[in-house]
Amino acid sequence: MINLTINGLDVSVENGSTVLEAAKFLGFPIPTLCDMEGLTPYGACRLCVVEIGEGTRTKLVTSCTYKAEEGLFVRTASRRVVRARKMILELLLASSPQSKIIQDLASEHHVQQQRFRQEHEDCILCGLCVRMCKEQMVAGAIGFRGRGQERSIGTPFDMKSEECRLCGGCIYVCPACTLRCTFTEPDKAICGGCANLAPPCVEKDPFEDMMCYMSPCVACEIKKD
Amino acid sequence: MRRLTSIDEFYGLQGRLKDDRSEGIPTLIITAGTCGQASGANDLIRAAKREMLNRNLSDKINLRITGCHGFCELEPSILIEPHDTFYPKLSPKDVPRIIDALLSDEVVEDLLWKAPESGEPVQKQQDIPFFQEQVRTILSGSEKVDPIRIYNYILSGGYASLAKVLEIGKPEHVIEEIKTSGLRGRGGAGFPTGVKWELLAARKNSSKKYLICNADEGDPGAYMDRSVLEGNPHSIIEGMLIGAYATGATNGVVYVRGEYPLAIKHLVIALRQAKELGVLGDKVLETDFSFDIEIVKGAGAFVCGEETALIHSVEGKMGEPRQRPPFPIERGLWGCPTAINNVETLSNIAHIIRLGAAEYAKIGVPGNSGTKIFSLVGKVKNTGLVEVPMGITIGEVVYDIGGGAIGNESIKAVQTGGPSGGCIPASMFDLPIDYDSLAKAGSIMGSGGMIVVDGKTCMVDLAKYYMNFLKDESCGKCYTCRKGTQRMYEILEDITMGNGTLEHIDLLEELAHVVADTTMCGLGQTASNPVLSTLKYFRDEYIEHIIEKKCRAGVCKDLVGAPCQSACPIGTEAWRYVAHISRGEYEDAYRAIREENPFPSVCARVCDHVCESKCRLGQSGDDPVAIRALKRFVADNVDPAIYNPFRAKDKKDEKIAVVGAGPGGLTAAHYLSLKGYSVTVFESDAKPGGMLHSCIPAYRLPSEVLDKEIDSLLDENITLVCNKSLGTDFTVNQLLDNDGYKAVFIAVGAQKGRKLQLENEDADGVLPSIEFLKAFNQEGKQLAKGHVGVVGGGNSAVDAARNALRQDGVDKVTILYRRTRGEMPAFEEEIEAAIQEGIDIKLLTTPVKVNVQDGRLTSLECVQNKVGKMDDSGRRRPVEIPNSNFTIDLDTLIVAISEQPDVNSISPDAEGGLEITKWNTIQVDENTLSSNRSGVFAGGDVVTGPNTVIAAIAAGKRVANMIDRYILGEELRQVEKPRLPNKYIEPCSVTEEEMSALERIDLPRVPVNRRSKSFIEVERAMSEADAEHEALRCLRCDLEFTKKMPVEINIQQPEASVTAGIQND
Repeated sequence: MINLTINGLDVSVENGSTVLEAAKFLGFPIPTLCDMEGLTPYGACRLCVVEIGEGTRTKLVTSCTYKAEEGLFVRTASRRVVRARKMILELLLASSPQSKIIQDLASEHHVQQQRFRQEHEDCILCGLCVRMCKEQMVAGAIGFRGRGQERSIGTPFDMKSEECRLCGGCIYVCPACTLRCTFTEPDKAICGGCANLAPPCVEKDPFEDMMCYMSPCVACEIKKD
Repeated sequence: MRRLTSIDEFYGLQGRLKDDRSEGIPTLIITAGTCGQASGANDLIRAAKREMLNRNLSDKINLRITGCHGFCELEPSILIEPHDTFYPKLSPKDVPRIIDALLSDEVVEDLLWKAPESGEPVQKQQDIPFFQEQVRTILSGSEKVDPIRIYNYILSGGYASLAKVLEIGKPEHVIEEIKTSGLRGRGGAGFPTGVKWELLAARKNSSKKYLICNADEGDPGAYMDRSVLEGNPHSIIEGMLIGAYATGATNGVVYVRGEYPLAIKHLVIALRQAKELGVLGDKVLETDFSFDIEIVKGAGAFVCGEETALIHSVEGKMGEPRQRPPFPIERGLWGCPTAINNVETLSNIAHIIRLGAAEYAKIGVPGNSGTKIFSLVGKVKNTGLVEVPMGITIGEVVYDIGGGAIGNESIKAVQTGGPSGGCIPASMFDLPIDYDSLAKAGSIMGSGGMIVVDGKTCMVDLAKYYMNFLKDESCGKCYTCRKGTQRMYEILEDITMGNGTLEHIDLLEELAHVVADTTMCGLGQTASNPVLSTLKYFRDEYIEHIIEKKCRAGVCKDLVGAPCQSACPIGTEAWRYVAHISRGEYEDAYRAIREENPFPSVCARVCDHVCESKCRLGQSGDDPVAIRALKRFVADNVDPAIYNPFRAKDKKDEKIAVVGAGPGGLTAAHYLSLKGYSVTVFESDAKPGGMLHSCIPAYRLPSEVLDKEIDSLLDENITLVCNKSLGTDFTVNQLLDNDGYKAVFIAVGAQKGRKLQLENEDADGVLPSIEFLKAFNQEGKQLAKGHVGVVGGGNSAVDAARNALRQDGVDKVTILYRRTRGEMPAFEEEIEAAIQEGIDIKLLTTPVKVNVQDGRLTSLECVQNKVGKMDDSGRRRPVEIPNSNFTIDLDTLIVAISEQPDVNSISPDAEGGLEITKWNTIQVDENTLSSNRSGVFAGGDVVTGPNTVIAAIAAGKRVANMIDRYILGEELRQVEKPRLPNKYIEPCSVTEEEMSALERIDLPRVPVNRRSKSFIEVERAMSEADAEHEALRCLRCDLEFTKKMPVEINIQQPEASVTAGIQND
């Protein structure tokens, strides 16, 4: 067993468990997007950052990839952590506003607007599908390509993969493309049910029965174009 | 090559090589690194070889082809041993002359390097300032060694350190030595190398251990690793061998960029030779120690310089970092313990063993020992690789080694550490260069890139450049790094395009901190540095981009538009009137000038024309368009009456007071009057005009021209009150409280001459220049006589000197200036005219004593200066030569070293508490020009100190706007719109040949014999033909904005003709 302190609580967890597992086991909520039980931790989305260390020498690390250490001092919701998480969610909203999961996370963390140029990408390159394909489906049909802005997920040279068995595992795990808020077709839209915010487009036809969390509302913004 | 089978055999070989060396035979060293080859070193080698073969000189001269010595700018070059004679920038035809001189032990004087200031040739490489200040322990190796000859390396002491280590036989000894030496990793992070090796050595239970040399040098503008690999590859191999011996590493990898073909070639040759000789591979020198090195070529991803990404890349995986811990020391390449060292670190190892750790630790400063190679590039005179001891200041590197700024610009900052580094402003150049100081200042040492930026570099654009690099080079794994760098780039782009808001700065800062906080590897954690450091030190430039929509460096195209217009303090559309002149539309040209400038004729004569210094034609190597001369042509030939300014229909009730009828005050009065306000202008002199009238001599600006221009500005809304001074006749309090003025603009100028602070300065015959000029211009008093001395180098000194020369009873005029000619602040054309007229300029002269007899000046004692080191402003400091005192007999001494506002008249007590700066100027908000008292504005020299006419006019225009906003109750500080060219003027057609044949025509001057004793105007207007010719030279930067670019020409052959060809077959 490893003894460590999480949010001031002295706890002991099993050898080899990550800080995220430890925190979750103890009931401290940490948001994640690229983490899934049964897949290797990857550390892409950075949402699960926690502050480790004491005094002035602290730093943020992703709890999903950081192994619990003896005597480690962890804070899962310090000011620094919250500030970082909010900014990450704002970045996510700016790029993938249609993901139901991201919208829910944003509203949970009181992120109500994003201040960047609005983009409409789906993929957040969390790599869940890549790991699912390789580790659980033992196929390895898809992978990352390129770097920086050019990074994307797909098959080598975009050719149809012979490894792919069309199992759908990749779609099943995706946090960004599934459960998409289909504001363009209001009748198919899924309401987030997040009632803690005044939805900006409630009165606007044909979106009157929708709720969304953002100001400016993506739906309204798109409608304007 | 016979394999060496013992350490003794190695020493034997070393001894034999030393004996073989033909003593006394001179060596011709040709530098042929990548930089040398690119500038033609291969031709030199060919020429030298041909010459030696033809003349059978192979036993009289040795030829050695080496890597780069550092002074890349002067390549291709030849260095001669033993005298260390250095010939830079050669062409093949110079080689025979050098060989002739070499044989007769002479020097080819005209090919030597010449000091830029004195023009004196310098023979020895070590005496050139660029080399003088360096400590070249590593780079000097490249001079002594032909990289593809291992014997050459052994002869210069190579592999002796390895032999010594093997002989001692204690790996712990090596680690102890490296630890004692204090060597820290040269890759940037500065981790102690000895400690790293100790950690690796402590990993006992692994059959394989790796030592990796990180030669993936990717920072833009940094190339020291390449130079070492190219010039001295064996030193890296020896360093790795010693490291492997110390740590027990079994395998070595050199991870080198694929873009370094020459480095790879030399490395491959060196590895093969080392193996053949038996110093590398199985059983090194027949001891128990075995170590092999392989080369892995990187594919050019910047992130692969990060150690975990590098390991992935070597393993053939995607080059992306992973979470540490586990550190590579625990689990590295193929899961084995691995230590990764930078090229430069490894090249230091053999030196440490040779010198001894204690001796090595003496170089540099405690905690940061040894030397560091920087690639000094950018806007600095001498660019190249520079090796300096740690702890040297940035200023010493930039000014003493780099030679300071190019041209008239001044250095603004250095960017250290590449894209992960930050900017350090010139004000902090006394910062010592070491890992900790740089980190504290918000930058990093990095691998040693040092990019010097000057006034022509926009700091926002610089940050944008690095962010653009990083957003492409981030591996993309961490969301915050991939998206964060992209978003930071977008925000910076918005700001440089004029779409920025102040909220953008906050967002940028917030995002930058989060990116640094939440990313995994070094790339992301430091990616914010370019943004954060520029925000820290150059926030005003960001705000200027956002609020004023100005880019002072003239870089951001969407804010600058035409450089001439953006450079002008009042935004005159110079491109527009130049275009009109080229088409013969002189009235339109006049309108273009007059719309922005109420003083066209004055500015046509006395403006300092910053527009010309920013002119793109001038920047691209040609002479800039003579914009001021063209303005003069228009101002002289067009009747001002053709322009009717737009006037507000309704007269406003508010009264406004302007104090001072100089160019600033009159401009403000004019524009306020156009807006309908009643303006009263108070002037302390008898006539309006301020400095224009009282100080600018009539031979530059005839008084009738000035009077006419001022008269045209005074209208029924403006009341001029002369002979009334602020402080004596009225106060600001009175104006506001008693006389019912709603706002006051103080533009009283700087009227008090600064003193030399010498004894007897108030003797008869010693005058401040401003008094001297005023006495003549206003009252016609000729105060100068006999031999006149003028102290100072600014415009007011030159004006006073030329004015004195024209007075009766003056025999001779001498200007005394303490620095050199190039640093005189006066306009170049004025200095030139003064010299033509026979005025003597004594440079590097400082007065120290005023000699008097019976209360009257008799002579001035001066000392001679020499140029010393550069000061913070980047100018060479004048240093007194001891005992160089000399005396000049003088009848009149005019002191023109600077002026200050006379604050007695605006002292805080009398004026209801106007804030005064320590320079005795009025404190105002830079943007709104409002003082600490509401309704009181100030501008011109009283705020800036002595400044140009156009700056005063600009202040007047701005204040007119601000007072209008103040009275209307609007926010004073408002976001401006970028002023881009918006009128399309059909260009005249000029062919390329005609264009290149056109040369700048300047204003003709009256011949010296007719002008030096008279006050007739020196400059004449140009002819119509000349004006058209000069205007045609304009590159018309405006067209980019006013007309869409023509559709791209399709260079492909039309399809029809292709098929026709086939049919013919």
